[in-house]
Amino acid sequence: MIKRKKVWQYGFLILASVFSVFPLYWMAVSATNRSAEVIGGRMLPGGYLLENIKNLLAAQNVGRGMFNSLKYSVILTLISLVICSLAGYGFEIYHDRMKDSVMSLLLLAMMVPFAATMIPLYQMFSGFHLLNTTLGFILPTLSTPFLIMMFRQSARSFPHDILEAARLEGLNELQIFFRMFVPTMRSTYAAAMTITFMNAWNSYLWPKVIMQDTSSMTMPMLVANLTEGYVTDYGMLMLAVLLCTIPTIVIFFILQKSFAEGITGAVK
Amino acid sequence: MNGKGKRMTLEKRHSLTGWGFLTPAVVLIVVMNFIPMLRALLLSFQAGVGNRMSFAGLYNYIRMFQDAVFLRSLANNFIYLLIQVPIMLVLALVLASLLNHKDLRLKGVFRTAIFLPCATSLVSYAIIFRSLFAVDGFINTVLVRLHILDTGYNFLGHAFSARIVIILALIWRWTGYNMVFYLSGLQNIEYSVYEAAKIDGATPFQSFWKITVPLLKPTILLTAIMSTNGTLQLFDESVNLTNGGPANATITMSHYIYNMSFKYVPNFGYAAAMSYLILFLVAALAFIQMKVGDKRD
Amino acid sequence: MMKKKRIVAMLTAAAIAVSLTGCGTSASDGTSAASGGGNQGESGTADENTLTVWCWDPAFNIRAIETAGKLYQKDHPDFNLQIIETPWEDVQTKLTTAATSGNLDTLPDILLMQDNAFQKNVISYPDAFLDLSSSGIDFSEFSQAKVAYSTVDGKNYGVPFDNGAVIAAYRTDILEMAGYTIEDFTDITWSEYLEKGRVVLEKTGLPLLTCKGNESDVAAMMLQSAGASFFDENGEPDMADNEALKEVVSTYAELVKAGVMVEVNDWDQYIGSMTNGSVAGTINGCWIMASIQTAEDQAGKWEITNIPRLDNVPGATNYSNNGGSSWAITTNCKNKELAQDFMAETFAGSTELYEEILPATGALTCYLPAADSPVYSEPQKFYNGQSVFTLITDYAAQTPGNHTGVYYYEAKDAIAVAITNVVAGGDPDRELKNAEDTVNFVMGK
Repeated sequence: MIKRKKVWQYGFLILASVFSVFPLYWMAVSATNRSAEVIGGRMLPGGYLLENIKNLLAAQNVGRGMFNSLKYSVILTLISLVICSLAGYGFEIYHDRMKDSVMSLLLLAMMVPFAATMIPLYQMFSGFHLLNTTLGFILPTLSTPFLIMMFRQSARSFPHDILEAARLEGLNELQIFFRMFVPTMRSTYAAAMTITFMNAWNSYLWPKVIMQDTSSMTMPMLVANLTEGYVTDYGMLMLAVLLCTIPTIVIFFILQKSFAEGITGAVK
Repeated sequence: MNGKGKRMTLEKRHSLTGWGFLTPAVVLIVVMNFIPMLRALLLSFQAGVGNRMSFAGLYNYIRMFQDAVFLRSLANNFIYLLIQVPIMLVLALVLASLLNHKDLRLKGVFRTAIFLPCATSLVSYAIIFRSLFAVDGFINTVLVRLHILDTGYNFLGHAFSARIVIILALIWRWTGYNMVFYLSGLQNIEYSVYEAAKIDGATPFQSFWKITVPLLKPTILLTAIMSTNGTLQLFDESVNLTNGGPANATITMSHYIYNMSFKYVPNFGYAAAMSYLILFLVAALAFIQMKVGDKRD
Repeated sequence: MMKKKRIVAMLTAAAIAVSLTGCGTSASDGTSAASGGGNQGESGTADENTLTVWCWDPAFNIRAIETAGKLYQKDHPDFNLQIIETPWEDVQTKLTTAATSGNLDTLPDILLMQDNAFQKNVISYPDAFLDLSSSGIDFSEFSQAKVAYSTVDGKNYGVPFDNGAVIAAYRTDILEMAGYTIEDFTDITWSEYLEKGRVVLEKTGLPLLTCKGNESDVAAMMLQSAGASFFDENGEPDMADNEALKEVVSTYAELVKAGVMVEVNDWDQYIGSMTNGSVAGTINGCWIMASIQTAEDQAGKWEITNIPRLDNVPGATNYSNNGGSSWAITTNCKNKELAQDFMAETFAGSTELYEEILPATGALTCYLPAADSPVYSEPQKFYNGQSVFTLITDYAAQTPGNHTGVYYYEAKDAIAVAITNVVAGGDPDRELKNAEDTVNFVMGK
């Protein structure tokens, strides 16, 4: 009985994993094939990887693209986590009717398609000479209703007795946040970090509008460059796309233990 | 009396501290989102070409309800929302609770594998989905071999099946993403609760509905609002998988707004008005969801 | 547990390290942005002799303008080009964003524009582009159908670059199996094409043509080959009562129904159908040859000729145009004389330039004097020894002009919908009426 349940469980997970990984597998395999083979749907590794690497390096400055993307994404993620978790915590722990309304209001900020607000934003940024700068890249998505709400929702499970106990011990509110809340909520931070990093890494529409220098090119912009033009070299494109995907996967793989395996208990 | 007064000031102080905590985030959102949104709102009352715009009152808002393509896109968005979001969220919940089992082996591998789709680049995922569902693609080959079909079917060339492909693609891409929130939310539930339930004779199905779902309610609310928002603003799949076709059968509102802004003769007034309709719809749905799900017990 | 902590600590340390170096460079980014802005004219031109350019294809137009830059440097040693690789869609997005928000000063000196978008952009943003009519560039040396794309109200805003003359390319080995040669497909009508296509299909199992469904490129090419357009000369949509368009739509539907033309869903499959040998030919702008040639194993098997003409339309020809692009100089350009002189000396005046870029990029000129160059008549091995470049220049010269109109993309999308519906069994008259209504609606009528 138990055995059969296990078989189902593993079977389902393996099936889901295979479906999920398949396109990535295809992408990796395609990076080793010629353009015509990729289009032809070849599913086996080929011997064209070195050639693709050579072509890609000749066509695009991959090192700079990786460095820029990493720089923007890491800075954005770290600052964003601090600002948004502070706010999420503030909204929940000190909640009152007014703050709840403000939270609802903030949610409106994510409900308008970016295409509509992009031009006013651009006007503002070019007025402040923020084009082509790191600050210009990160400012619009530094504080997002999504992250704030995520921290607010998880702060809901932050035990109030810890809070009271810490206050009795004489910790001030900021100390409670950093010493009690942050370690307790490590799983939320890890999840938020993964998601924020991924979004920052993949962001395209805004960077392409404000980044006008070749030297501030990011990985998604570099990939876009490869798809334009009269001929697309699919083998080379898949290699670039693969390189563009790996950092997110690495981050996820490192962090997944933190957000999925109860650390909460260890703190208490 | 005195004690009560002191408590009031303490509460007041805490309230002020709370405001302090959220000020940086709120200021940033006001400047980066609300100010541009306000300008877009003003723009939505104007009509014209390029940057030569003039006041037109509610013209754009009336116009969109006479716009057959826009109404089609609105309907498409709701089809995706109603079918895809529930399936995806339930699937994500099931996967998360399966992966939360203590004695499961290879957890890390499974988790990473299921998360992969949303990290996979749009370019490769679009190419592979299109080729999987091509007339001579993998899916058709299998269906023909199994004698379910006589000849290949052009999935992306027919309205009904093209919408199904989009829905499948969305489920594929975002289930792992939502699973992440559930997994992290599950960490705040003591594992002993499940063990106690097991001793009391609860089936896994019962503990899923009676323990997991209620305790994850705040997270479920979060993902429901996010998915509603994401689906009503859907853009990538419409552009990259079907390019809105066949005959606008799969085009989304955001795709149409983008065309109005950057592909066609730019009409930002109209684009802004349509964007505000999206805002209104998402806000209304989020309001309902919060009324239903956002209660502190 | 210890190990886990260490990993987190390491990760944080690494992240901080990156962010610190990040901050360091972001400061220097700030300064470089200021000087970059200077180049683009925000605070006076830093370098009078440098022109910034937005264009997008390293194997094609980027290579071409680099070559032009080198040629120009011979007489102007201080001259410099700063090329910023920007995909066309991004050029359009950036242009729209900058012009709409009134920040024209963020535009480059020169940008490459798709011909089909020229009218739209010049009319939407009249302040953004420099009128080149009196720039000393001799526009009569280009084919007039091409110059018409970038002419608005009689003023020239673009220097023609690549040619979009339409070719029909065939796999002669497949035609041979059905008993045909390339001559059988030269100077024919669509009904002859259909008839022969049926034979090819029967004998080889392969269609003559693939095209991207949900798109109206093939229809637009057919239409232009008869000198007809989606719009009349006043820019009004002309679809419901357009006899040429009616014939185009019915021909298209017939081709699909007969299986002579197969619609695929996207560009990858379209290219794939040619390189995999699952189609006997293709019809598209001559730039498609670069993609055909990626199938190196098919060298010598392809030949090109002109396209079929419409049967019953007066003025029908075997020549058309699809795609192509032209250079525009922006009003933000701080050294307009230099930019104009650069264009006049290279793309609008140097046969040498076109001789050099043709073998390297396959970029076919619209500059008529260059077509007489011996480089153009060189036989090409891939095309079984045909002098394809001479042929194509000849096609270009015979292509009738048409009215792109400002609302070109809107019209093309509306027609794509109409065609999809007609192929699925809809009534052509009603669908064309719907398309016209859709475009009228977008135009605010």
